[in-house]
Amino acid sequence: MDRAKIYKNVKDINEEEFVLPGTPLCAGCGGLLALRLAYKVLGQKVVILNAAGCFTLLSTYPYTPFRSSWLYTAMACGPAGAQGIRDALDILIEKGSIPKEENLKVVVLTGDGSAYDIGLQSTSGAIHRNLDFYYICYDNEAFGNTGFQMASSSPYGSRTGTTQPSDAYPMATEQQKKDLFEIWRAHKPPYMATVSPAHPVDLSAKFKKASEYKGPKLFITLAPCPTGWGYGASRSNRIAKLAVECGIWPLKEAIEGKLKHTYIPKFKPVEEYLSLQGRYDHLFKPVRNDFTIKKIQKGIDRYWAPFLKLTSCKR
Amino acid sequence: MIRVRFHGRGGQGIKTASRILGTAAFLEGYYVQDAPLYGAERRGAPITAFDRISKEPVLERGIITNPDIIAIGDETLLNDAAANVFQGIRKGGIFFVNTHYEASHILERYCLPECKVIVHDVTDITINTVGKASVSATLAACICRITGTAGKEALINAIKKELKSIELKDETIDKNIEAAILCYDKMSEVPIETYRFNPVSGPKIIAVKHYLPPKGVAVIYAKGNTKKRKTGNWRLFKPCINYERCVRCGICFVSCPDGCISLDTDNYPVIEYANCKGCLICYEECSAKAIETKREVRTW
Repeated sequence: MDRAKIYKNVKDINEEEFVLPGTPLCAGCGGLLALRLAYKVLGQKVVILNAAGCFTLLSTYPYTPFRSSWLYTAMACGPAGAQGIRDALDILIEKGSIPKEENLKVVVLTGDGSAYDIGLQSTSGAIHRNLDFYYICYDNEAFGNTGFQMASSSPYGSRTGTTQPSDAYPMATEQQKKDLFEIWRAHKPPYMATVSPAHPVDLSAKFKKASEYKGPKLFITLAPCPTGWGYGASRSNRIAKLAVECGIWPLKEAIEGKLKHTYIPKFKPVEEYLSLQGRYDHLFKPVRNDFTIKKIQKGIDRYWAPFLKLTSCKR
Repeated sequence: MIRVRFHGRGGQGIKTASRILGTAAFLEGYYVQDAPLYGAERRGAPITAFDRISKEPVLERGIITNPDIIAIGDETLLNDAAANVFQGIRKGGIFFVNTHYEASHILERYCLPECKVIVHDVTDITINTVGKASVSATLAACICRITGTAGKEALINAIKKELKSIELKDETIDKNIEAAILCYDKMSEVPIETYRFNPVSGPKIIAVKHYLPPKGVAVIYAKGNTKKRKTGNWRLFKPCINYERCVRCGICFVSCPDGCISLDTDNYPVIEYANCKGCLICYEECSAKAIETKREVRTW
């Protein structure tokens, strides 16, 4: 990686490809775009530890899209596996078995099912041990690989495979999305950030910045999912952009636990984001569910209020 | 008993097509069994679905290796060995393909036995009528008519029931019915020589030996060889760059999830069509409106 590289606009983004085409992932996968962009900053010397999820399909025998190493683990133990690889690399380098130049960046790649639920404790352990690794969670807000069942990352008001709208639950998903960022932030890791595939410059700059820190470097990326969210594949980036502009997906970073927003959105009304997706259709048809839509908007306003020092969201 | 096997790509509605065919025959008083089969991959990946339709209770189980009708939802699957679409094809069987080509072309090109090849461009009718390329209702309508298992009324009711269950809007369902009737009327009933099932001895069971991880675990030593999987076959619409309008902003390059757009020495984008899945994010994102889409037909 070029140490002096600064990311100011699209032209600064590396032209070299590290995730090659032909993957079996769905057309228009937002998570894959985020991974491709992240890889352009991480470079070639990387070993990925992939906890079970959609991205397990990236390397299906006998094909791989990567030019570097990739390993597959169970859902719960991505960071635990990363510890093993990190230790092995450190020992081999110390013994002189491999030259220092062949050191690899250890990257854990998990979906939201693993990051928010099943693998949370091993992540917490790895941050606590100050393991030098990257963690990328591609968040499509449900268990996308198995039929889009609800996860603790599924937002309030969205329809998933296991939370269908009904008379008793007109909002479909009743629970609020778990705030994984804040759970991680409580550990005060050296660097952590949220990114979006539709903000490639912001994403690249964050990965570049993270490389300056030793210890856990954690990322959550929004991963618009045409299959699960119910929209045409071509709209992935538009939806990712709207998520940021409506304020529902804040772009932020935290260094040693100190929070900073890297982009202040235009605060479009959240309907613009919701109405494009099939998973929110029940909020608009056959009758408009104003209560739920207002509650989602209120949640966003309440989140931003302390940062904007405003009592209500400006429009 | 009539055995039907559907082949198509994830997202095309193949599973739903088999359900519509099954439900329509059921409403006509048949005993029916239908089941889909697919792996962990979803959109774009080859999937298979099976239907057994009989006047007596269906006791046969499992996948259909000797179908009376093979219905292909995506013509590009004919070139995909992994999809195994020709499995169990036989003399006198019916081979339905959703394609622009003539039946004779398919017979010659794939050296098929003397089976009845029926072709119809279902995708075209569906795109023109429904607006989307989901061929569930239209493909099912063709097979309904060919087998003669269901009349129009049963077909319409089956489409309503199945498409409602996947939560489509009423207007979309109506358009699907319209397209399905168009297909139904274009087809005609074909006499079917059904396969007589001969009991065979069970499969040979092989005990797999235990190997230590260096030998027993699947290891890929190649680098980036997914390029060999021509995912360009998934595409329905092709993005084409109009270089006269292109302003070389690079937005398409950073928006392509699959990395199929690269920049040439003058920073003009170049699309690699062998692997482009046709998601059309580049088309949507291009602020200079320099990317056009073209419907692709006759891709093989």
